[in-house]
Amino acid sequence: MTERKIMMDMKQLMLRYPTGKIALSGMNLTIEQGQFVYLTGESGAGKSSLLRMFYGGLRPTSGTLQVQGWDMRKASEDDIRSLRRRTGVCFQNQRLLFSRTVFENVALPLHIQGWKKQRLIARVQKVLDYVHLGDRLWSYPEALSGGEQQRIAIARAMMATPPVVLADEPTGNLDEATARHVLDLLMGLNHLGMTVIMATHDLHLLNSHPGRVVQLHAGALVGDSYAA
Amino acid sequence: MQPEKVKIHLPGGWNMPPLGIHQYLALMIVAIALWALGSVWMGLQATGDWVGAWQKNMVLHVYLPQASNDQLTVLKRDLQQVPGVVTVTSVSHDEAADWMQQWLGQGVANAALMAKHLPETLVLSLQADDGGRFVVGDVRETAQRVGASINEDEVRLLGMRDVLNKAAYLAWFVTLLLGLAMSLIVSNTLRMILLARADEVYLMRLMGAKEWFVRMPFLLEGLALGAAAGLLAWGLLWPWVWGIASWLENVSVNLNIWVMLLPLLLGGAVLGCLGAAVATARLESPDSVDV
Repeated sequence: MTERKIMMDMKQLMLRYPTGKIALSGMNLTIEQGQFVYLTGESGAGKSSLLRMFYGGLRPTSGTLQVQGWDMRKASEDDIRSLRRRTGVCFQNQRLLFSRTVFENVALPLHIQGWKKQRLIARVQKVLDYVHLGDRLWSYPEALSGGEQQRIAIARAMMATPPVVLADEPTGNLDEATARHVLDLLMGLNHLGMTVIMATHDLHLLNSHPGRVVQLHAGALVGDSYAA
Repeated sequence: MQPEKVKIHLPGGWNMPPLGIHQYLALMIVAIALWALGSVWMGLQATGDWVGAWQKNMVLHVYLPQASNDQLTVLKRDLQQVPGVVTVTSVSHDEAADWMQQWLGQGVANAALMAKHLPETLVLSLQADDGGRFVVGDVRETAQRVGASINEDEVRLLGMRDVLNKAAYLAWFVTLLLGLAMSLIVSNTLRMILLARADEVYLMRLMGAKEWFVRMPFLLEGLALGAAAGLLAWGLLWPWVWGIASWLENVSVNLNIWVMLLPLLLGGAVLGCLGAAVATARLESPDSVDV
């Protein structure tokens, strides 16, 4: 049996905000390549803070955190940029650019990496076909429904085929059927080999979409199990 | 395939963002300010040309009342020895009477009779790069030794170069002040645009964009805005010059408006870049890489 690469590894991880509030403490957790991980817990449990640490938006106050091989306490600005190019991020509110077309939104990660326009058009078309929005290439996001906008956000996150996709409550604003469809897409990315880490409140989704469930409470790890 | 009517505006890098109402307003304001500066410098150029034309032949009249021939000879000899004095010629009473008759008109008065009561007049031609400041002092001193006087109105005119130098100094000061104001206008415009595009900046950084990639469009925008304002300001100088063309011709002044093109264009571009640099100096986003 081949040993899986470790994508995230934290030991006695602690995060304290400049205000003094302790967001995370004593976290010990390892996430391997190809896992689908749900981060659950009440509001303020530390889910979003943990996700932000996975792309270098926040640095640990103490303890160790290795993300895709980078030590997040010592990583330079260039290291963080490299990490971000290898990480796709989805948000609850999608954070799409409404003055830009769907193409311009989805093409952004690879445009940043220097891809030329004609090559981008072919790639964006392929990714939009995957999320079943291939006919919306030149539309503006405001013309799309909430579910469609979330699918665009997923398309943008997977555009550069990153090894890790982080999703912060991507189904939070969606009805159940649409939420299941969005989750299908994230599961699909996971089956393509991407490690998906998703913060969520929608525990009922676990019945139809199984995965590893990491439970946080008041900034501490209180559960780690597999829901099948 | 990209439809014909669709234009792709990808953010970041060397891509210029589409211009909006704020940019057009800033363009107009900066162009008007640059036009004002251009006008000041064109005015200085015209005045310099005009003053330079008659200062090439600087003349000064020296008057000696009720003089004997000996006194006049001594004065003439002494004046010729003053450094900077090129020639000294006497104006005869007959010559003065002719000129006076012409000036007063025929038959109005007996100019020859009046000319007899005029002081002896010497005409000095001067050569001095400093506008005659030191030569005039020496001439005045030499003249006063024998009771003569010099034409102080002419002296005041000779001092015009000093006035022009002071005006040029003021023009530089105004240029500096307006330049600063224009930079702030560009900077303020770009700050508003930065606020409107905060999400774009945030996303680019979140996806690992380098800082030059994030900031370059704003610097390009400042540069383009300043250069376009400079070009517009230069274009607006033409009606100004056409309007006073006949007057300039009367005073033998040749204005070269083309010399203003490069200073306005480059000056505008530099000011635009400066404004953009100020605007993007503190470009913060949540989740920056340097947290």
